[in-house]
Amino acid sequence: MRSRRLPRRSARSGARPPPHRGRDVSTVDMETPLPEAVRTGVRDLVLVLADSKRLLGMRYAEWMLGAPELEASIACSSMAQDEWGHARLLYALLRDFGEDVSHIEHGREAHEYYNIELLDRAAGSWPDLVALNALVDTALTIQLEALRESAYAPVRQRVGKLLEEERFHGAHAAAWVSRFARSSARARDAMAGALQRILPDVLRWFGPDSPSVSLVPAGIVDAEGSALRVRLAERVAPLFEAVGLTAAVTEPDFTGFDEARRRTSRSGPDPDTLARIRGDKNRVFLMD
Amino acid sequence: MAPAPGPSAAAPETASLWSALRDVRDPEFPISVVDLGLVYDIRRAGARVEVDLTFTATACPCMDFIRDDVRDRLLKEPGVEEVEIRVVWDPPWTVDRMTEEGRAALRRLGVAA
Repeated sequence: MRSRRLPRRSARSGARPPPHRGRDVSTVDMETPLPEAVRTGVRDLVLVLADSKRLLGMRYAEWMLGAPELEASIACSSMAQDEWGHARLLYALLRDFGEDVSHIEHGREAHEYYNIELLDRAAGSWPDLVALNALVDTALTIQLEALRESAYAPVRQRVGKLLEEERFHGAHAAAWVSRFARSSARARDAMAGALQRILPDVLRWFGPDSPSVSLVPAGIVDAEGSALRVRLAERVAPLFEAVGLTAAVTEPDFTGFDEARRRTSRSGPDPDTLARIRGDKNRVFLMD
Repeated sequence: MAPAPGPSAAAPETASLWSALRDVRDPEFPISVVDLGLVYDIRRAGARVEVDLTFTATACPCMDFIRDDVRDRLLKEPGVEEVEIRVVWDPPWTVDRMTEEGRAALRRLGVAA
């Protein structure tokens, strides 16, 4: 077998089985009691990760037919599916916080989304998409890694699976950045430009070191923003060096930064994006 | 982490349930969910059965089908009246969790495992 998992499945045709007895639960252990302030912080973090993954998945999906070669298109399809799977798993956790998960997934307005603002609109070019792959996807992974030993069991129990599925995303980004680096000067410059343009926003996304709700003392995450910034910079340094750049960590400007949504922009995904991630055009077909 | 209990380590009261789940095939491969290593544990208390089940990928679109098939099959077993399925992701599924029988079946299908 080439990869760690079976080939992608296609949905089985035919009628759904009849209604059943019994019920499903999505978590092994029930809600872990958390102090109220920490609880809010965890809820926000889960939503930040879930929304960013849903949006990133959509950005990948937009290149399923437009990538420069078939293998890259297939990779985009695969990564999109992973991100949407992760988003769904994370949204489901919000049930423990008293949220209506269906409303969260299908009913919110743009300004209620917690996604990293770089994903508000489509990537304009293939180098831009590769830069999102290299920086945004990696930032989400680093934030997940910080939850690996989390005191919040429902997250801790999922993070291993998510990180395992993410390994391939990092490899895909590295391969493409290195291809651009070895290609023409114009290609290398385009890649360097895309990386350089978005790095500051990605670094800021990890948030300030003294947030109003720190999840470090509670054992939810293992590091504050500045440490995560360093981890990201160290992870992507080889990619930056390949295109002649340095992945420098500077203290971000947090003026106007909304700690809960981890954004400065008060808006959210653009209208076309919003309609698609909420599934507005499918609503008429929804049966349950 | 200790390996999840498998059919060989099944307690007497769940041995027949492990055996029953060998009838539940993955919708894509003709391999049982037991041989794929998707069933992590089965517990029984009287008429009530709890199953710990995982999936190969977090975005597996067959989750609902597999869940329903597992439940429907167990409800056919004598004395089983209630089935609770707990979806677990820890430890993550890998091909190492497949039984030798499952690997052999995959190889016959031309998929290296």
